[in-house]
Amino acid sequence: MARDSKHDILFEPIQIGPKVLRNRFYQVPHCIGAGSDKPGFQAANRSLKVEGGWAAVNTEYLSIHPESDDTHRLSARLWDEGDVRNLRAMTDAVHKHDGLCGVEMWYGGSHAPCMESRCTPRGPSQYASEFETMTYCKEMDLDDIQMVQGYYVDAAKRARDAGFDIVYVYGAHSYLPLQFLSPYYNKRTDGYGGSLENRARFWIETLEKVKQAVGDDCAIATRFAVDTLIADAGVEVERDALKFVKLADDFVDVWDVNVGDIAEWGEDAGPSRFYLQGHQLPWQRFIKQVSKKPVLGVGRFTDPDKMAEVIRSGQLDIIGAARPSIADPFLPEKINQGRVDDIRTCIGCNVCISRWEIGGPPMICTQNATSGEEYRRGWHPEKFPKAGSDDSFLVVGSGPSGSECARVLMERGYTVHLVDSGEKIGGSTNSIATLPGLGEWGYHRDYREVQLDKLVKKNKDSQIALGVKPLTVDDCLEYGADKIVIATGASWNTDGNNALTHDPVEGIDTSTPTHLTPEQVLEGSKPIGKKVLILNCDPYYMAPSLAQKLTEDGHQVTVASGVSLGNYMHFTLEAPNMHRMMHELGIEVIGDVWASKAEANRIQLYPIFGDGYRREYRGPGKLPRRENTHFDWHEFDSLVVCTGRHSNTELYEGLKTRKDEWAENDVKGVYVIGDAWAPKLMADATFDGQRLAREIELDDPQHPKPYRREVAVWGAPHMPGDTFEIEYES
Amino acid sequence: MKILVPVKQVGIIDEDYEIRDDGKNVDVDFLDYEINEWDNYSWELALNLQETYGEAVEIVPLTVGPDEAEDVLLNCLAKGGERGIRVWDDALVDSDSMAIAQVIAKVAEHENADYVLTGTLSSDHSFAATGMCVAGLLNWAHAAVVSKVDITPDAQQITVNRELEAGIEEEITVESPAVLSIQLGINEPRYASLRGIKQAKAKPVEVMSHKDFGLTDAEVGEMGSLSKVRKMYAPEHSQAELIEGTVAEQAKRIAEIVKELKGDT
Repeated sequence: MARDSKHDILFEPIQIGPKVLRNRFYQVPHCIGAGSDKPGFQAANRSLKVEGGWAAVNTEYLSIHPESDDTHRLSARLWDEGDVRNLRAMTDAVHKHDGLCGVEMWYGGSHAPCMESRCTPRGPSQYASEFETMTYCKEMDLDDIQMVQGYYVDAAKRARDAGFDIVYVYGAHSYLPLQFLSPYYNKRTDGYGGSLENRARFWIETLEKVKQAVGDDCAIATRFAVDTLIADAGVEVERDALKFVKLADDFVDVWDVNVGDIAEWGEDAGPSRFYLQGHQLPWQRFIKQVSKKPVLGVGRFTDPDKMAEVIRSGQLDIIGAARPSIADPFLPEKINQGRVDDIRTCIGCNVCISRWEIGGPPMICTQNATSGEEYRRGWHPEKFPKAGSDDSFLVVGSGPSGSECARVLMERGYTVHLVDSGEKIGGSTNSIATLPGLGEWGYHRDYREVQLDKLVKKNKDSQIALGVKPLTVDDCLEYGADKIVIATGASWNTDGNNALTHDPVEGIDTSTPTHLTPEQVLEGSKPIGKKVLILNCDPYYMAPSLAQKLTEDGHQVTVASGVSLGNYMHFTLEAPNMHRMMHELGIEVIGDVWASKAEANRIQLYPIFGDGYRREYRGPGKLPRRENTHFDWHEFDSLVVCTGRHSNTELYEGLKTRKDEWAENDVKGVYVIGDAWAPKLMADATFDGQRLAREIELDDPQHPKPYRREVAVWGAPHMPGDTFEIEYES
Repeated sequence: MKILVPVKQVGIIDEDYEIRDDGKNVDVDFLDYEINEWDNYSWELALNLQETYGEAVEIVPLTVGPDEAEDVLLNCLAKGGERGIRVWDDALVDSDSMAIAQVIAKVAEHENADYVLTGTLSSDHSFAATGMCVAGLLNWAHAAVVSKVDITPDAQQITVNRELEAGIEEEITVESPAVLSIQLGINEPRYASLRGIKQAKAKPVEVMSHKDFGLTDAEVGEMGSLSKVRKMYAPEHSQAELIEGTVAEQAKRIAEIVKELKGDT
């Protein structure tokens, strides 16, 4: 199919300084966990996107000097020749596909805790970071300013030498240039503080120096948070931001604009729970009114119609994307080919971001299971090795793992029967996507549904069987499949079993009328009373989501939690607004408690730190602490038991125990994936499905084969010409 | 008791398609094929009867169609039954319900069938006539749009529910042999298993021509049809327009539209 002419505007080239972007698709800097230390990962992940049509790709934020060391989080670094060598792998790979590549030069000030380098960061004034609250910076004197600006220039030269086409001075997310610009940080009274012109001076001088150093070879970009969302305590778009853009415009080849700060950068990388695509446009759109230079910006743009409209209406010139480029590295090419229904649409869950927030494990993506696996496993999101045998497959369960496994097996050319008792592909996603704000999570199901419907038409022996009676062990054995994949998911515990005690809570029984599992709440299968208590021991979204849903449905909700409520949502940047929502809806949270017993309409809670703090050996059968004596009864009409999950293993275990009957039924193997293997993130369940389908020819495909590791190699010094022996100062 | 179940491969068109050069049908290049949805229900009914009565019941799927149409017989045989029949000849191209019914009726006689179970209609042409034409040609009892049926081997008459307008059901008795056209929802069609699909490939499908039953070319195809397709086309969609602007601007545009529709401009 051909490209829809209404999307032509997205494919018009545009000049940025000395370089030309071949179209309007631009991967803004975003973290992946590669940095400069995993050059293969960096090179493969970014160059794949250029193959998929992106005009330019960037590294993640790139530290210009050891004074800007974000350890435990993972940035790229361009400190020395060793980093230049490693990052050249990326620029070479990107240039092979005729794309541009950029670096986002980063100096964090007090937001960079320097836990590896042990340096002392510098800033416009001295303050403790609101993000890294243990870290203070040193207030810069004029010598310091010259020095730090020199760091930018030196790093820019190294970037040019490494082959980069675009060099950023990074002033979004509250990093150093913005710290000078914003009165929230800048309390100076000299020529770098006070008036807007003074506060802008550091940033503009830095841009000027960088442009002078590399501006003939590289486009100069700056990422600018045009509104820090704290009114006149920080930067406001219609006041300081527009003035700053006018002052700096001559030294910038392309503006990359967003909103927010670092402590709540979910206001920029907005989760779909709270923000729709284009949510920053009300701020971003002002910049083109004063700048003569191209303006780009993000907003989780996934819909090509919206992208074209944003450009046509003069709000942005270039579509910036991080998450949509992760979910579908081939998004531009699919639009170009008119294959819009093949786009793997970002669901906005921010699980990709969670890994950076946790401190640098490789990025994962819920939609795109190949994300982060390009180099180490050799997985291409759009290419699949041909089937290695004539084996036929029965996949039981069409949730995230089962549907992904069936899809990839079919892509590889295998005959697959995907069977589910539900009326629709998607398994648990179908109910999760009905929770408040999680509608876009349904794109995970939609992508697989569309692809499976196409794939099943290509092989008349393949089949998608929905709404069927749950298969028994006998059904599976007699089905006629060579290999059986069990993806029957997980269920919430019915007895209060939990991560703290690893035992049920006495009296909890969701087969009774007043105790409910989350599934029962979502199914609407039981009446729910006015006063609801949610007993929570799950660290992710279920308890906050149910609390919101039930409150909005008119119930009076209390959450009693044994773990930090929605703890993982801190990593997905959903936590701040989740807490605001809970507060606004009047949902009471009782933290650090667990339940000793429950009855039909009341539950007994105790403080989890209610036992004695002094520990001593007291003999066998005796706790080494004073036992808790503090118990409180809390009344409810309905109790929602959100304490933990367990795999639905009946079918898998049933098949395993009858292994002696496999051969007579021509069954060569039985495998388990996703939540049925062990409850996990949707992203990891999806990964399980993809991995099993790609490794199915192994002798033991149940267990992953080793991946290619990128580690420091003993005997190969980081710096060219350096030694690696153990040496002490003498 | 022998039950003949005529099944049809129907074309599915996507949003993008073209009409054949002669303007009488959709260009086959734009068609995907699948079994007519109604036929899944009639075949399921036959499967259920065979499972209930065992060897006392033989069920045979029949299709009138070219080589590719054999897929629908394999679909059926993957779920049960031991053999299928496919009738085809180039002279059968462009047959209407009546011409197809000529063939089905001959097969029913040839097979000594006791019942013919068709779908109520096929999703492509929607005549809902083939089954009743077969009954007419055989001079058998018949019931259309059957939503419930109780067939027992050797019964002289059977009880049948027919679905009427507004959810009304009609219960009637029908003499055997009979032709029934089966409505959606009468049962829950099963899916084939992989084992069934593999086994179906080994089951015999007898391929015959209308001539094997003594029918001439003039009795089938376009010549043997009671209706002829003159033209197939997509009607123009009526167009909606969002009228924007001030009240005066909107009124002006409405006046223009009225004039356009009256043909004044």
